[in-house]
Amino acid sequence: MTDLISILQQPDVRPIRLFPLTEPAHWVSILDAKGQEIVCIEDPTKLDASERAALDAALAKRHFVPVIRRVLTITRAPDGFDWLVETDRGTTTFRIETDESIQSLGGGRLVIIDKLGTRYLVPKITDLDRDSRRKLERYY
Amino acid sequence: MPTAPFNEASETLLQHAEKQLVTGERIIVRLHTDLDWNLHFHAGLMVLTNIRLLHVEMGHFHAWRLAEIQELKLEEMGATAAIHLMQSDASIWHWRITSGHLREVEAFLAKFKEQLGTVSADVETVDDEEDLFSEEEPAIVPSTSKPLVRLFKFSRQWYKLMLLGFVLTVASTASGLVGPWLTMSLVDEVLIPLQTANNEVLVGRVLHFMLMLAGAALVTWILQWATTYVISRVAERVTSHMRRATFEHLQKLSLTYFNKKRTGDLISRIGSDTDNISLFISVNFIDFACDVLTILFTAVILFTLNPMLAFAAIGPLPIVAWLVQWVRSHLRGGFAASSRAWSAMNSVLSDTIPGVRVVKAFAQEQREIDRFREQDQQIFDTNDRVNRTWSFFEPTISLLTDFGLLIIWSVGAWSIAGGNTTVGVLTGFVLYVGRFYGKLENMSRFVASAQRAASSAHRIFDILDVKPDMPITSGMRKVGRLSGEIEFRGIKFRHGSRQIIRGIDLKIAPGEMIGLVGPSGAGKTTLVNLACRFFDVSEGAVLVDGHDLRDIDVVDYRRNLGLVLQEPYLFFGTIAENIAYGKPDATKAEIMAAAKAARAHDFILKLADAYDSMVGERGQQLSGGERQRISIARALLINPAILILDEATSSVDTETEREIQAALDHLIKGRTTIAIAHRLGTLRKANRLVVVENGVISEIGTHEDLMSRSGTYARLHEAMVEVNQA
Ligand SMILES: Nc1ncnc2c1ncn2[C@@H]1O[C@H](COP(=O)(O)OP(=O)(O)O)[C@@H](O)[C@H]1O
Ligand SMILES: [Mg+2]
Repeated sequence: MTDLISILQQPDVRPIRLFPLTEPAHWVSILDAKGQEIVCIEDPTKLDASERAALDAALAKRHFVPVIRRVLTITRAPDGFDWLVETDRGTTTFRIETDESIQSLGGGRLVIIDKLGTRYLVPKITDLDRDSRRKLERYY
Repeated sequence: MPTAPFNEASETLLQHAEKQLVTGERIIVRLHTDLDWNLHFHAGLMVLTNIRLLHVEMGHFHAWRLAEIQELKLEEMGATAAIHLMQSDASIWHWRITSGHLREVEAFLAKFKEQLGTVSADVETVDDEEDLFSEEEPAIVPSTSKPLVRLFKFSRQWYKLMLLGFVLTVASTASGLVGPWLTMSLVDEVLIPLQTANNEVLVGRVLHFMLMLAGAALVTWILQWATTYVISRVAERVTSHMRRATFEHLQKLSLTYFNKKRTGDLISRIGSDTDNISLFISVNFIDFACDVLTILFTAVILFTLNPMLAFAAIGPLPIVAWLVQWVRSHLRGGFAASSRAWSAMNSVLSDTIPGVRVVKAFAQEQREIDRFREQDQQIFDTNDRVNRTWSFFEPTISLLTDFGLLIIWSVGAWSIAGGNTTVGVLTGFVLYVGRFYGKLENMSRFVASAQRAASSAHRIFDILDVKPDMPITSGMRKVGRLSGEIEFRGIKFRHGSRQIIRGIDLKIAPGEMIGLVGPSGAGKTTLVNLACRFFDVSEGAVLVDGHDLRDIDVVDYRRNLGLVLQEPYLFFGTIAENIAYGKPDATKAEIMAAAKAARAHDFILKLADAYDSMVGERGQQLSGGERQRISIARALLINPAILILDEATSSVDTETEREIQAALDHLIKGRTTIAIAHRLGTLRKANRLVVVENGVISEIGTHEDLMSRSGTYARLHEAMVEVNQA
């Protein structure tokens, strides 16, 4: 796997997490431009430092699952609910359409998928402040 | 999409951009970006003018002359995308945006390309600015007011019945209050004199009082009977209207909606949520109206009898009011959670029961039992939570009632001693106050049911508020019988952020048969779904007989369509009903003709009730091939101009396939046909074969053409021959 860095440098090669929600730290697959798997890495911690850094950088470039820190407001909209939340990537608003947009992954983890397909994560409901929990409670 | 704060930000950015325009510069198109380079949420704006590309964000502004830009390159990165500004093959600037906006991005880039072309050709365009976000705003904004208010508006059309119910309620409540009043006089005028003086018994007077009391009771009984009946009727009307409206609305929604919803949840909404509402209107609401009236009447009576006693009696009232408020806020979340738990349980049922064969085959009964138990536990827990609040609330109200009575007794005793009141009045008072607090207790029960009904109404309006994204409007062009020409003109299509169809051009002549082949996941089904207008294209257009599909009446168009899917779906009913599904008024002869042509007649004969045999839910009682032939007969019966076969024979054995193939050969005659098949032999009658790969057409031609080209088709064919020889 010595050529991992050179693989990652090829144009349009991209790493994806195979279990982005349930096991983000393991199982990373590297795909070529056509979407064919080049290599699959079970445990990135076993890579050497430079490879790991290259992989992490490539993953970070694509990774986008804002983590919800606080729920500010949830208001009714014509076709769903508008959420105003504070995330690790700043404050934002999004609209969710149906109850199915909020999925429970067990252990108090929630994934919220907005109308446009962006995923938001609540790692543990019990870690949220009381006010946010109250607001969330009505929807999942 | 964006709500208040972000809309404001976009507005401000736009104003900034407008200030930067030089004379003669016009905005052609703009794109709102929502991320910064570190992927933090941040509003930005890209503006394309006739001469420049502008970038605006809070406190920043950049501009590039179009002449110095080589191209804008889109890089999709899963949940986000980047737009690179390329200059001599290097990215000198980029923007990030969440993938949900890719459609807007693509439209922006298309405009950009167009503009870049015209700049280099030095031609001035004069088309107006286009706002890519305009379609985002729904035309009709449904009201978002409180669900109970909406429920009331919803029931408006039965106002006469409701008025009658109300009048009856007032009357029955008032007549119910006559009893204590008579008791008061009975005590003061008959009982007390009887006890103190040695008057002879006034039999006549006693009898008179008894008759009046009995009369009052009878009148109350009749009035209450009428009230309950009238109000229940209103409730049934409202909820039946609601169920129908919801179902009708569901039928108008597109596949996109159903792809996202769970069946069990919808069933639960139409079933148990409307039931909650019905119960609320019929039982609780009428009780509540009675209670409010009783309380008002009683308060008036109490105050006319003795203001001081009255004040003393209603002392604990503010505490009650505060309690009610407290309970309300606790129950609200509880009931919403409870409704959701019900939905989840229904979803487990609607998931497991149809899949029972798989469950048994994999011996996962216990797992399904556990899954069900878990959901049931959820219901238990949510209800338990509500009950906990509730069990505290009711006794507390009783306690306050007792306190109220205690106050009356002591204040009353003191007044009688002072000669300000009679024993009769005090007795009446105690009766009224008992009633007063009893009603308060009822009212608090109402709080719970109102909360439950509100959360149920909410769930119903949730469905009713979904705007059909493919409006079936009757005002659109009626096409009648089509000749069957289909043209895909530069179509692209996305499922969410994934691009499935990446640009397909294909013109199919009337009566032509096209065979669609390609690896699975290539987008073949998606393409025919677009031709059926189950979804709308993101770019380009589908034309039939020269009309854009989006301009013609969907219902009218689909009458020209015959669809046979890989998974034939039969409805609960007889075979004849299933064949005649698309044409319920078909004659028996027509049904049989269709069945014969579909090679279904022979096996139907062998069934116990022949054409009148029930096929069970989803046609469970028939084999796969038999179901398929019925669905072919169904398509044949409506004599469609366009026929779509999506792997119609993929899931059956060779023998059955031969039967079905013969049926199909009959079916395709004189119709435009698009057939998708994995077994290439199925397509031997096709005029042209179209190979779809990765959302684009990679090869077109006859079997011989494609074989000689030794491309994908030749490879697929070879692989198939190998499999057959093995
Ligand atoms: N409702 C959907 N939402 C998201 N992606 C979908 C949906 N339906 C199909 N797809 C994806 O679109 C691609 C093409 O699917 P389809 O047209 O069914 O392929 P096929 O050529 O086998 O018929 C597949 O990769 C599939 O995963
Ligand atoms: Mg398919």
